Amino acid sequence: MSDQITPDDLMRYLDGEMSPEERTRTEAAMAASTELQRDFALFRALKSDIQGLSIHPATYRSSVWDQVNAHVNRPMGWALLLIGVAVWMAYGAYVFATSPASPWEKLGTGAIAIGILMLLASVIWERLREWETDPYRDVYR
Amino acid sequence: MQRQLELELIRKCKSGQSRFYEPLVRAYEPAGLRLAMAMMGNADDAKDALQMAFIKTYDTLPRFDLRRPFGPWFFQILRNQCRDMLRSRKAKFNLEALDERLEERPADTEKGPERMRQRNAAKELLWSALERIGTDHREILVLKELQGFRYAEIAQILDIPEGTVASRLYHARSALKDALHEMDAEYP
Repeated sequence: MSDQITPDDLMRYLDGEMSPEERTRTEAAMAASTELQRDFALFRALKSDIQGLSIHPATYRSSVWDQVNAHVNRPMGWALLLIGVAVWMAYGAYVFATSPASPWEKLGTGAIAIGILMLLASVIWERLREWETDPYRDVYR
Repeated sequence: MQRQLELELIRKCKSGQSRFYEPLVRAYEPAGLRLAMAMMGNADDAKDALQMAFIKTYDTLPRFDLRRPFGPWFFQILRNQCRDMLRSRKAKFNLEALDERLEERPADTEKGPERMRQRNAAKELLWSALERIGTDHREILVLKELQGFRYAEIAQILDIPEGTVASRLYHARSALKDALHEMDAEYP
């Protein structure tokens, strides 16, 4: 490379990132150096060939919007679901507590309901622990 | 997309109106896919990276500074996502139908099958050389040549000083030239 023109200068000239004054100076240096001309021709050929590469058009046919949209709206869906469940459970507990059923009926039904909830919570907890320690959780199947 | 329209869409998204995110995704998807494809080398991984980048972008929108341009910020997230995936065991650069080489176009057949075969072979060689030079060199070449970013935008996306972009490009182009020579390809 020439003493006056550095590799960075050559790149900036090639990519049109120079001021008019810098361009004039670079062109003058290139006119006087066959080495610079050769380097420039090589890099320009590389640039042109890379720009000629393209992506297969089939790749563009489907959008990722649906998946993005599903993820973006998921927190809102979960929030609404949890609020709904909480409201219904509170209302159910109130109706159950104020119903005229006998204490034994309430005790039996309450035990079943609490037992189901405890089993569900333990299964969810177990799955969560398994997922956290799964070494293959990021592997696509 | 116009800057004002883009800003308005981002403001709406920041206020939690996710339906205004769709025009942004649609506007940046083609360029994003081009970058991801060139980084990842295959459509499946590229689309996964792009999808994750759009999700991360949306999740971090509340912290987005409206005085900054959206494009370079999004491409920085996408570039980091591609690099993360390449680093992890999930994906590796894998050349697969990247180019139009599998598709015959009428204009090509008019020039003759031999000319088309040579052109396709040259492109395949170039993709292979890009695969050889590694992620650092490949990403800056993709941003410059396939995406057409200016040095200032590349500096913002790669989070490097603008003054080092020319130097990085010189090393990337030199590495590509060396890779092509190692593969017995001749340049002018």
